Amino acid sequence: MRAGRHPLRSLGDLQGVLGRALLGSPAPGVVSLIAADGIAPEARLDIYRHHVFASLTASLEATYPVVCRLLERRFFAYAADAFIRGHLPAGPCLFEYGAELAGFLADFPACRHLEYLPDVARLEWALNVAAHADDAAPISPSALESVAPARVGELRFAFDPSLSLLRSPWPIDRIWRANQAEVGTEPLVNLTAGGVRLEIRRRDDVVGFRELTLADYILRRALLDGERLGTATEAARDVDPGLDLTGLLGALLQDNVLVGFSLSPGRATSA
Amino acid sequence: MGRDVTIGACPEGALEGAGIGLRAPHVAEVITTRPHVAWLEVHPENYMGGGAARHALTRIRADYPIALHGVGLSLGGVDDPDAAHLRRLRRLVDEIQPVLVSEHLSWSVAGGSYLNHLLPLPYTEESLDIVCAHVTRAQEALGRPILMENPSAYLRFEHSTIPEPDFLGEIARRTGCGLLCDVNNIHVSAHNLGFDPVAYIDALPARAIGEIHLAGNRANDADGRTVLIDDHGAPVAPEVWRLYAHAIARFGIRPTLVEWDTDIPPLDVVLDEARHAERVASHACREASSALAR
Repeated sequence: MRAGRHPLRSLGDLQGVLGRALLGSPAPGVVSLIAADGIAPEARLDIYRHHVFASLTASLEATYPVVCRLLERRFFAYAADAFIRGHLPAGPCLFEYGAELAGFLADFPACRHLEYLPDVARLEWALNVAAHADDAAPISPSALESVAPARVGELRFAFDPSLSLLRSPWPIDRIWRANQAEVGTEPLVNLTAGGVRLEIRRRDDVVGFRELTLADYILRRALLDGERLGTATEAARDVDPGLDLTGLLGALLQDNVLVGFSLSPGRATSA
Repeated sequence: MGRDVTIGACPEGALEGAGIGLRAPHVAEVITTRPHVAWLEVHPENYMGGGAARHALTRIRADYPIALHGVGLSLGGVDDPDAAHLRRLRRLVDEIQPVLVSEHLSWSVAGGSYLNHLLPLPYTEESLDIVCAHVTRAQEALGRPILMENPSAYLRFEHSTIPEPDFLGEIARRTGCGLLCDVNNIHVSAHNLGFDPVAYIDALPARAIGEIHLAGNRANDADGRTVLIDDHGAPVAPEVWRLYAHAIARFGIRPTLVEWDTDIPPLDVVLDEARHAERVASHACREASSALAR
């Protein structure tokens, strides 16, 4: 065949079709370009296809070990296969791959009866984000000394980038703990025990989570969403009228969770 | 192109002695025991965030030379290398100050999605122009030359017109990059595609070789025939040691690295492979020198 006559001779066309073929699309045009050399071209393509799915499944398993354990490995691989076909990584840093798994599992017919599963996946994703988030130094209490007391309510904050907040109607903290490798005999988790509000973050390279009171959750959620300290405090006071702004700010600073602040409208950035 | 002979040339270098690919299960042990090994190589994509992994790399860098072996730039892809990813790699390069930076002759990105595999190229003039443009762009973005590694292959395209070692040699000549000669990949590809691995090594431009990789492979069945899979999950095969000795005799001593990525054994096992590589290289170098003297 002379150069230029095959429709996939251009590198861009070839890579586009080959990329789709690796995800399962029929690719007779690509197959006809592969030298057999004693092995069927389709079988040669299958070696690459197998690696794409096996390596991405392994990456998802590493990010979602509890979901994998809850589903059991073979079923997890089945779900991962379907997930991968619709959600390839956007880039080569695989610790950033798999954010959409929780939403996928919520809609995946074979998992729909496991109503708590998407929230367990959200918790594992938050732990993964916390493990790999960029480092950011917390602001010191003295950094806020220049803010006039009358304007403290106008403060907006940037949070530690490792931090996530998660609210679930399921006891996902207990489900997660019951499925850690070091737990020998798996304790029973009462799924009707009630929900949780969790803060997930990294401190000194150690990733973990803790339960928040409703007021603390509301306050941090509002601040994380870019609300002013005054507005966030008012929202938290709806459930705990005893809260005061100065005390809350002191607790946030003591927690080393704030990494930047701003008095102007718009989001604060890290210091 | 690329028939220069440097037999017996054993240059003094920063990376004398063999290194190992540092993988997550061994990081804590390397930090606490500081084993005797000449250098370490990591995949930069695993260290582009913050947290424990990145802090561990910074600590290890204080004790060992580090090489960065990228898998994510997709320099053989038809699309330009991802500028944001190149910026992240540059930040890591600036911070870690690696002794070597390498990438692969392959592509991984199609339609904006990353396929997590080092996929094969047709070796044509069009591909050569694209790869050279991308290598140049990467070297400009990183502010330093890189090494390009020969891939392990399970297929070849009928419309390829340039032999792979010549293709690599031409990339090195046009862009000024060096080459990373993965001897296991040559063995695997030679078996799977039916070419002579010794002739392949002899066709590489010796002066461009800046690093050598060694790893294990595994045999699998495909369509009733045996194919070798480059799984980095076993000791280096005897045939690969023989090819390595030939490569050293032809190129001279080069920084050599043992990779082990699946079924990862205890650290000592990987370190023993590196020490064996040093003995094989040293013996091959002596043999080549005495053959030259005779």
